[in-house]
Amino acid sequence: MLRFLSAASLAMALAALPAAGRAGSTPASKDAYLYIGWPIDGEVVKSPFKVWFGLRNMGVAPAGVDKPNTGHHHLLIDTDLPPLDEEIPNNRNHLHFGNGQTETVLELPPGRHTLQLLLGDKDHVPFDPPVVSRRITITVR
Amino acid sequence: MSIRLVTFALLVGGIGSAALPAAAVEPAPPGAKVYIIWPKSGQIITGGKFWLRMGLRNMGVAPAGIRKPGTGHHHLLIDADLPPAGEPIPNNRNHLHFGSGQTEARIELPPGRHTLQLVLGDADHVPFEPSLVSDRITVIVP
Repeated sequence: MLRFLSAASLAMALAALPAAGRAGSTPASKDAYLYIGWPIDGEVVKSPFKVWFGLRNMGVAPAGVDKPNTGHHHLLIDTDLPPLDEEIPNNRNHLHFGNGQTETVLELPPGRHTLQLLLGDKDHVPFDPPVVSRRITITVR
Repeated sequence: MSIRLVTFALLVGGIGSAALPAAAVEPAPPGAKVYIIWPKSGQIITGGKFWLRMGLRNMGVAPAGIRKPGTGHHHLLIDADLPPAGEPIPNNRNHLHFGSGQTEARIELPPGRHTLQLVLGDADHVPFEPSLVSDRITVIVP
């Protein structure tokens, strides 16, 4: 795994993340892919609506479970990425899915909202490199 | 919610132990549902390779061996009927285990019609009670 973290790829990973600080210490699969399966970017939805979480090349485990190559989902709503080397905040803009949930139903006020997924390790700290989805924008009618 | 779950667990556990003396079958939380997000039934899959997306509602995913109420892990039945209740789901090419908590998997199927169905298993790969299974769908590989 260390071999994959060459200076170049690390620099690229950090450059790709505008708000990136350092990463956490739990290694992530190099080909892990996190995405929001629904809604899609630009979608207009009626609240409440379902959001499902897509994760490839890694598994889901509840918070507190120490198993390599697993983590749990955090959904960021209308917020930038938090510091990537510490525990993800737990509030209305940072929802934790510590029971290993892979979808949720959201209720948001009308207007434009951003959604982004961030995978956390057993201690809710992002991985190294961070496993993060694209940030999408949706409109709630 | 947790009190309701516990009550339900005790209730089902009580009934389960009366009916099945030896097996401690994990109760399924109320409202839980397993489904195949993709592919859709009837989907034509050119080349036979695809990412299966596994959906789970009102429950969480945990790797095999993790005992946490309200969690389980996915198993995919390919061209197979449902396995018997109360015992571990077989592990072979027709019964794929996702014991690392995977929610997507790369699947490759030969040409022909194939059925796909998900079954959620508990920490010991035993189906829940009542069982949590998806619709059985058919896909076609030209």
